Amino acid sequence: MEKPIFDFGMNANRRHFLSKLSLGLGSAALGSLLIPDIFKSGAENSVNDIVSGLPHFAPKAKRVIYLFQNGAPSQFELFDHKPLLNKMFGEDLPESVRGGQRLTGMTSNQTRFPLAGSVFNFARHGNSGTWISELLPHTARIVDDICIIKSMKTDAINHDPALTFFQTGAQVGNRPSMGSWLSYGLGSENQNLPGFCVLLSRGKGNGQGVYSKLWTNGFLDSVHQGVQFSSGENPVLYLGDPEGMDRSERRRMLDKLAALNQSTFNEFGDPEVTAKIQQYEMAYRMQTAVPEITDMSKEPESIVKMYGPECLVPGTYAANCLLARKLSEQGVRFVQLYHQGWDGHAGLPKEISGQCKDVDQASAALITDLKQRGLLDETLVIWGGEFGRTNFCQGTFTKDNYGRDHHPRAFTIWMAGGGIKPGLVYGETDDFGYNIVKDPVHVHDLHATILNQLGLDHEKLVFKHQGRRYRLTDVAGSLVKGIIA
Amino acid sequence: MRHYLSDWKAIIYNLAFFLNGLLIFLLVFESRFDVPGWMFPLGRLHPVVLHFPLVALLIYGCWTIIVEKQGSARWNADLAGILLLLGTFTATIAAFSGFILSKEDSEVSSTLLWHKYLGVGISIGSVAWYGLARYLSPWKIPAKSVSFLFIVLLLAAGHLGGNLTHGEDFLIIPSNFSEETAGKVSFEEAQVYENLIRPVLQQKCYSCHNADKSKGGLQMHTAELLLKGGKSGMLWDTTQKDLGLLLGRVHLPLDDKKHMPPRGKVQLTAEEVVLIAEWVRAGSDFKQKVRTLSPQNPVYSYAKNTLGGHRVGDIYTFEAADAEEVRALNTNYRVVKPYAPESPALFVNFYNKTAFKSSEISDLLPLKGQIVSMDFSKMPVKDEDLKIISQFTELRKLLLNFTEIQGKTLPELKKLPNLKELALSGTAVQISQIKALESFPSLTKVYLWSTALTTEEQQTLVNKKIRFETGFRSDTVIIALNPPVIENEQQIVMGSTGVKLNHQIPGTEIRYTLDGTWPDSSKALIYSQPIPITKNTTIKARAFKAGWYGSAPVDKMFIKATYHIDSVRLILPPDTKYKGKGPASLTDGIKSSTETGSGNWLGYRDTNFESLFFFDKPAKVGSLTISTLCNVGGSVFPPAHVEVWGGSDEHSLQLLKTIKPLLPGKMIEGSRELLIDANFDPQLLSCLKIIARPLSKLPSWHPAKGKKAWVFLDEVIVN
Repeated sequence: MEKPIFDFGMNANRRHFLSKLSLGLGSAALGSLLIPDIFKSGAENSVNDIVSGLPHFAPKAKRVIYLFQNGAPSQFELFDHKPLLNKMFGEDLPESVRGGQRLTGMTSNQTRFPLAGSVFNFARHGNSGTWISELLPHTARIVDDICIIKSMKTDAINHDPALTFFQTGAQVGNRPSMGSWLSYGLGSENQNLPGFCVLLSRGKGNGQGVYSKLWTNGFLDSVHQGVQFSSGENPVLYLGDPEGMDRSERRRMLDKLAALNQSTFNEFGDPEVTAKIQQYEMAYRMQTAVPEITDMSKEPESIVKMYGPECLVPGTYAANCLLARKLSEQGVRFVQLYHQGWDGHAGLPKEISGQCKDVDQASAALITDLKQRGLLDETLVIWGGEFGRTNFCQGTFTKDNYGRDHHPRAFTIWMAGGGIKPGLVYGETDDFGYNIVKDPVHVHDLHATILNQLGLDHEKLVFKHQGRRYRLTDVAGSLVKGIIA
Repeated sequence: MRHYLSDWKAIIYNLAFFLNGLLIFLLVFESRFDVPGWMFPLGRLHPVVLHFPLVALLIYGCWTIIVEKQGSARWNADLAGILLLLGTFTATIAAFSGFILSKEDSEVSSTLLWHKYLGVGISIGSVAWYGLARYLSPWKIPAKSVSFLFIVLLLAAGHLGGNLTHGEDFLIIPSNFSEETAGKVSFEEAQVYENLIRPVLQQKCYSCHNADKSKGGLQMHTAELLLKGGKSGMLWDTTQKDLGLLLGRVHLPLDDKKHMPPRGKVQLTAEEVVLIAEWVRAGSDFKQKVRTLSPQNPVYSYAKNTLGGHRVGDIYTFEAADAEEVRALNTNYRVVKPYAPESPALFVNFYNKTAFKSSEISDLLPLKGQIVSMDFSKMPVKDEDLKIISQFTELRKLLLNFTEIQGKTLPELKKLPNLKELALSGTAVQISQIKALESFPSLTKVYLWSTALTTEEQQTLVNKKIRFETGFRSDTVIIALNPPVIENEQQIVMGSTGVKLNHQIPGTEIRYTLDGTWPDSSKALIYSQPIPITKNTTIKARAFKAGWYGSAPVDKMFIKATYHIDSVRLILPPDTKYKGKGPASLTDGIKSSTETGSGNWLGYRDTNFESLFFFDKPAKVGSLTISTLCNVGGSVFPPAHVEVWGGSDEHSLQLLKTIKPLLPGKMIEGSRELLIDANFDPQLLSCLKIIARPLSKLPSWHPAKGKKAWVFLDEVIVN
């Protein structure tokens, strides 16, 4: 008797199962009515969806200009004044100070690590009495407007990973660059220009390459990729009209094309088609916006004197600084400069003098220029390299000639504007300048702080990719509250 | 189907099943689900509904647990079934409404997440429970353990829910705990004790030192009681090094029995210790306001951080504008955006001067109650436009840099009661108009760079309230110009090509010499048109301009060539590392830089350089120059032996010249170019052959002694 009852129960179960299944499908159907676009593909990460909820809170800065000193400038010749190194010139770096720090392949076979003090003199400047080297007379002038962080540290010890780490928050490539994250988070302010622009220049010092992976959008939408401006006749590639085509013809062509695209859209309803129409339109507007910005001929002489005469020579650092100001003024969210030539492994005193000549005046001018236009408080400017340099000499060592190897444990950068405390020196290194003794700032912390100044919470600016949520700061980073005004 | 409809239990059960399916579906696609407005009231039902399943399921669970054996009089299967069904159904409703409610708040805490998943779990689980209840006899162990599990889940979910509504630790904190905390008071109004110190004490001390529970005879919840102290005495004493009992106890090691707060309790943070210490040191004033402190004071920065601090800018009290209206006013050349999503304050930027009209401003008047910042930089804004701008009464910041205003209507802007920053850089404003700005109600910063104001006039602008930013003045600064640019890339010049000089700064004068002497600002030739090259010449040039120092010189050597070599054939190929641009490198007229890796050099080491040069028309050739490189350190030497052959075709060549260039006798730093000249009797030639043999053994003083040397060539010039 029990078995038939059990079988009956099982039968009822099957019937139940089928009817319940229909109920489940019905609930899914009702659910899909509540989320109208649930079964549509694409466009879910489009800019507009993101922008509606961002920034997370009131921003201090609207835009960023990052003056990247590619190759890693030596902190000892510029900012981190260490008289002890001059006193102990030529003596070995005590093992207790080095504390097992790994070395690059370039110095790991050295038998001695002779300390090398800066051959350049330092003096106090500004109301803040900040030590600045004689190599940076113009930076010394603006020292009350900038915040010098002497306690930066990074994870990488070689250029490529360190640079990639600084730009994307990861040492391996193909993560979105900082500028791409900001473009993704905040969108473009000016609809006639890209939200993320890249400018390159190189000095005469020993150089290290820059590659487009540094301004990649990674897994973000490709509209967030950095647009490289070149110094030649066509600052933005493929923007000019083809030969023999004038503006009105271009306009007619675009109108016809838009009409065709529109009819395709009407037929298939694919949002990619309207995105395409908008991109053509933006490129058309860029055709007037870009030449207006890259035309330096109307700059007043006071600007030329402020940035230095080189600022009218396309492709120089000074010209890029001036261009950066103009782009930023026009609402470009993130302008990224790279100046190559800081990799002073040998003959550092001579090389760094040349590099400073290239960048000092123009960097300081950029700050002054933003300030006198009332834009410094809404523009965040960052100056610095990917790591620092060793306090001991690499290679040939004489009284006035030495080289320095890579040093990730402690180095100096500066920031200005955008709600960063002006006239502040943050963090401290030991008397050897080798280790941080106060207020360390990791690259992740710097990223978190930059995002914070733009009104973004680094823990909330995420993008889901391949099943994982990614952030610029990965799983680390905390705000450097001490430098926030 | 009919018996389902006639059976109300089946209907309710199916309904519960259906709702759970919907709930799972919505949870899966949660990130893309926006709750429609009409659903929100459903969410608000959550606090009402949730008590039903809690009670029903708990009773059912406890009931099954206490049934001891089959047929027990304690067990009423029908009633229990109804109880479980009701619990299941209401659990589903509660979970569903809770889900809707959770979508109202964008802040997602981990408590909320746990509560949500527990709630959904109970909802789904209870459906299963009901469906399987007939297989679970309540007097057997499986039924009892399921019941026990559900009781635990229900209590946990309920507790988390309680935490959400009443705050964490609602259960354990004493009842007189008041909810006034910092953050609700503005920075301007904040008091050091009331808004900074007291919240710290409240969080970390009150639990043991309050009216009900005064450990050590100390109560801390009022100012009087703080001053009174406890059994061990007064709380602070500024004459002591450690500032008295309170801070002394705080600084004791954590292991010390007298350390406060005691081990196991939440400790004071470093900032909080500094806060209390600073306040005590300054005399423990219970009424002191934060804003009276200096910004360097740690208490001040603590207040900045805790009272909303750096994340909150100005506080705006006006109503937000309609988001649709704001969006509609955005164009490609005009951006109107809120500062932050919740902020009612809007900022406006204009781009592209050709697209700008006055109506661009007046269009924005509907938003005049919300716009706090406008940037008109470089737009053709005119004086009369300021009348429109003066209607935007909420403006804090106005940028008019490089606009066309003359300043006549600047007083209009006095109508802006909140205007703090005014940027007039690059405009034609006059000193008298600037002076009038001093009477503006809220103005604190004015930008006047690149205006017509003289240095003296700028110096008269001293005002306690307003900071005048005059920026960089170029007339007092003299710096050196950059050198001019020699535009010709080809250093080997043929025919009437002239050398072009250029300078990027308009109005500079370029002076040059052809004899290698230093070009000065008076005697050197002034450049006006391309300089013809008639013989081998070095041009040296400098730039000059009034108000600047003269530039450093730039120089470049130009080599005159008479004949153009029409084609080249390399008999032996160059080393694969230094292939240059192939045979064309030798006749392109471009001198390579002295870097071995420049890509213009042809390098030979294991074979001779051997090459044929052809002229389409016979040329009368009397001399030949071969441009080579010498880099001793890099083992690049001049050729050991050079032969020049000539004739009417490649089969009838005669030896014209043999040269043994001078080889370096010691180490020379760096790279330099080396021209090897071959002169012979002028004769008509159609074909030339050059053979250059690399040195086969480096001399004994060379680090790589005994090895073969390189020969590098980049150009052959025929005269």
